[in-house]
Amino acid sequence: MSDTIELLEAIGQNATLRHASADELASILEQANASAALRSAIAAGDSSLLSKEFGHKPNQAPQISNVPGHEEDESDDDGDDKPHHPSEPGHSQPHKHTPHKQ
Amino acid sequence: MGMTLGSHLTPLARSQIEQADVVFAALSDNIVELWLQRMHPDVRSLQPYYAEGKSRMKTYRQWVELMMTEVRAGKNVCGVFYGHPGIFAWSPHKAIEVARAEGFKAHMEPGISAEDCLYADLGIDPGRFGCQHFEASQLLFYERRIDPTGYLVLWQVGLVGDLSLKRFSTGAAYRQVLVDVLSEDYPLDHEVIVYRGATLPIQKPRVRRMALRDLPGAELTAEETVVLPPSSPLKQNLAVRERLAALDKEAFIA
Repeated sequence: MSDTIELLEAIGQNATLRHASADELASILEQANASAALRSAIAAGDSSLLSKEFGHKPNQAPQISNVPGHEEDESDDDGDDKPHHPSEPGHSQPHKHTPHKQ
Repeated sequence: MGMTLGSHLTPLARSQIEQADVVFAALSDNIVELWLQRMHPDVRSLQPYYAEGKSRMKTYRQWVELMMTEVRAGKNVCGVFYGHPGIFAWSPHKAIEVARAEGFKAHMEPGISAEDCLYADLGIDPGRFGCQHFEASQLLFYERRIDPTGYLVLWQVGLVGDLSLKRFSTGAAYRQVLVDVLSEDYPLDHEVIVYRGATLPIQKPRVRRMALRDLPGAELTAEETVVLPPSSPLKQNLAVRERLAALDKEAFIA
């Protein structure tokens, strides 16, 4: 059975494969001996079916929030989870947060 | 990392990953993390530091400290984030700021962002009518000026209005507040687009169209973005055009 991650990478990098129809891709993946999970995900148009192979491990969308409403709180301590800051000279305080996107 | 596994990782970004001593990762899919793990023997996921009920600000500061701990230990550290590491991403910018303040070299490589994919997938040229981008919550917390003659892109609508930074979604009532704010500039039957880009190469982008009034009742994930196309035509600025015409006349006479 072909490695699913390698197949996904190959599909992602190949213009033909990336934009192939589900039927076209299904045929190619059968020839490539793709896993049942990958083939069923493509046939159903549902990538969540890959969980059969990789488990269900949802990622949080990283970096949610540009900290709206908390710009002035950036320097606040959070108590026992406060990260350690070194005491070397020259260590600057965090700057006031400004929005990234304009 | 870009948005889509296999498609968007730039050669330079891959080289940075491969040449690092340690890699920290905040990615869209666990499958993308598995792909990244094949590029480097020491990939450390930042995902475990998220938790429902925990301020995301705490999480982001922990991320910075995790990376800086390795930097201070003399390692070449690479932080890998999905899309573009500097767009809707506090900790990469902060890590660079802190590292430079402590005398370390640090920089950011750009990546293909969700915004880039949105333009391609929806056929939008931000230069045509102009395009404003806001995190949806910022539009509620602050008085911002919206120009309805251009595109308006609202990010992270799924958790609009969350002041606590501890939730990963808010509900229909909060989205209704957003719709009420938007209705000051847009008719309620204005068609909006709800968009999610593909993170795996076997996915297609998810594009749904609905009336603005229906947004509160729609099912919405944290990754989805709301686009409001222009609701009014561009209005000529006659006074400025007259001034420019006068300049043109002087230029031709001269």
